[in-house]
Amino acid sequence: MKSMLKMHGLTLAGLFLAANGGVMIYLAAGTIKYWADINWMDVIGEGGTCLILCVWLVMLLRGRPAGRVTRLLSLGLCFTAFSMWMDMLDEFIRLPPEAIWDNWLETAPMPVGMLLLTLGMYHLQQEQRAINAQMSKREQLFREHRLFDTLIPLAGAQYLRQHLRQALEQAETEQRPLSLIAIDLDDFSQINQRYGQAEGDQVLQVMAQLLLFNLRQQDMLCRLAGDRFVAVLPDTGESQASVMAEDMRQSIASLAHRTQRYGERLHLQATTATIMALDEDEAQVLKRLNTALALAKPRLARSA
Amino acid sequence: MNGQPLHGAYDADNRFIAAHHLPAVLIDLARSRGIDTHHLLRGCELFYEDIVTGGALISPQQFLRLIDNARRLLSAPDTSFLFGQRLWPGHYGPGSQLLEQADNLQQALERLGEYRALLSPLLTPVMHLDDRYLHLYWRDSCGASEQSTFLLEASMTAVVALARRQQNERLPWRFQFAYAEPAYVEQYWVHLGDALTFDRPSTVMSVPREYLLRPWPQAGSTGALVARQSCSAQLHAWGWQASFLDHLHAYLSQHIRHPLSLERVAAAFETSPASFKRRLGKHGTHFQEQLDLTRRDLALYLYQVKGYSNEEVAQHLGFSDITNLRRSFKRWTGRVPSDLGGLLYG
Repeated sequence: MKSMLKMHGLTLAGLFLAANGGVMIYLAAGTIKYWADINWMDVIGEGGTCLILCVWLVMLLRGRPAGRVTRLLSLGLCFTAFSMWMDMLDEFIRLPPEAIWDNWLETAPMPVGMLLLTLGMYHLQQEQRAINAQMSKREQLFREHRLFDTLIPLAGAQYLRQHLRQALEQAETEQRPLSLIAIDLDDFSQINQRYGQAEGDQVLQVMAQLLLFNLRQQDMLCRLAGDRFVAVLPDTGESQASVMAEDMRQSIASLAHRTQRYGERLHLQATTATIMALDEDEAQVLKRLNTALALAKPRLARSA
Repeated sequence: MNGQPLHGAYDADNRFIAAHHLPAVLIDLARSRGIDTHHLLRGCELFYEDIVTGGALISPQQFLRLIDNARRLLSAPDTSFLFGQRLWPGHYGPGSQLLEQADNLQQALERLGEYRALLSPLLTPVMHLDDRYLHLYWRDSCGASEQSTFLLEASMTAVVALARRQQNERLPWRFQFAYAEPAYVEQYWVHLGDALTFDRPSTVMSVPREYLLRPWPQAGSTGALVARQSCSAQLHAWGWQASFLDHLHAYLSQHIRHPLSLERVAAAFETSPASFKRRLGKHGTHFQEQLDLTRRDLALYLYQVKGYSNEEVAQHLGFSDITNLRRSFKRWTGRVPSDLGGLLYG
């Protein structure tokens, strides 16, 4: 909250001052209405809209990084909120009939605000496109932010299941192969033990980035659990998937990861498994993939 | 060093768990994920500043509350598994030393059971050996109710991780769970292994016996002897080794063929039926439930580990006829003895 005030103090102060100024001008020019003359329906309608716009403004400022799109949207909201505020004030204050300037205070900010909001929405859409391009290989077919992994900038197992359901259907209707690769670090627990959990988390993040480099535009990478990742490869047969899996394994083995604290070189090794989806549902596919990986895993832990 | 058996028992509200030992593992895990300690410790009657002094003691109830908070705040399906991986041997002084310098897995598990007040105060490990396998069960010792799945996942992961770390190999563990396959089954795959069966009558992990006696790297150390003495001294200072529910379970198992009623058992525990009932209520349970649990455990043991027939089990448990036994067994486990299946094959 503190940082929000620091960053957007000017916007919020501007709205506050303008609202106060509006009250002052109305009070100076008009007289307060009698209790019985007030139309409460209008008060609730206009005041409520103003309040909701202010809530939107706060949510927007809290939720988004500062920048051009945020500035446009917030200014647009400020203008519309101000317009609703002035609209509500004249339910309480009677202005002399000869005053026509009040129209300017009430009505004029509204189109300005709408214009700014529209401009903001346009840029928001552009921005979303740019972000989508950055999110490719991590998110495809649909978005559900509640399924993002809490540790790694990838989606988690629940997202993978839903994605897989759709991808399997798609592969079925288009009569194209769909393959999956599972990638699992060997002796990840030793890294956690020896270098600490923070280093383990770092290794997972580095590994996620590295695996993303190895994927094509149409592929999708998820973190299944722990140190196990799954890549979904549409339109790919098993032999091609095996080649990609081997490439991934090699790129992990030749990755020169150095620890954050002392810069020691960690030698990472991974086991991969590849399967092609047959006539089965997503739970069966994942189970089979997991069994394939368990068979591929070395029994003896690597010493040293 | 293990003179006379200890007759005392700890209750769910006895404060004896050092907050900087087992609970701190969970606290550190939450802290590393950016959880505020004030939120984490809300309702635990505990302050982070007190834990840091090393003198704070908490009760099983407080520990369970902490687990509940951590689960909700982290809201990630891997919390219990990450907690389990860090659990043992841990850094809990002599208790940890006992585990780390055990001669082999079997000894480590025996020590874990013997000193569970120090190392596993919420779940009691129960070992059964048949001619080829070790079967390891976990019994609720303090009324964990909602947290019991979390505790099971954590304890099982902890044993798997401990054995793997000490023996430098993956053991071929097999698991059965008394509950349905969870939505996050991939965590089980990654942290426990892929030999999993769900919807079974009991939760148990099994491993071939030949893995139990493989020597551990620091076997036979003098330090472990001394550590054991100081652990025993701690138990004697408390006057207990096991929890109240453990004692009740032991008593009921021993007298299972006799008519058992709340009044009789209360008398055996040298207390009035009313306060015995209160004490059970404190652990979120009642007499009949404990009696059924004991009978179920015994019946499963006799069927699955001992390979007894219906007649033998009925006789052992004091049932007048097999029909009665089958009906009760169905009530305890949701299935009849004939479709019990073996411990190793679903």
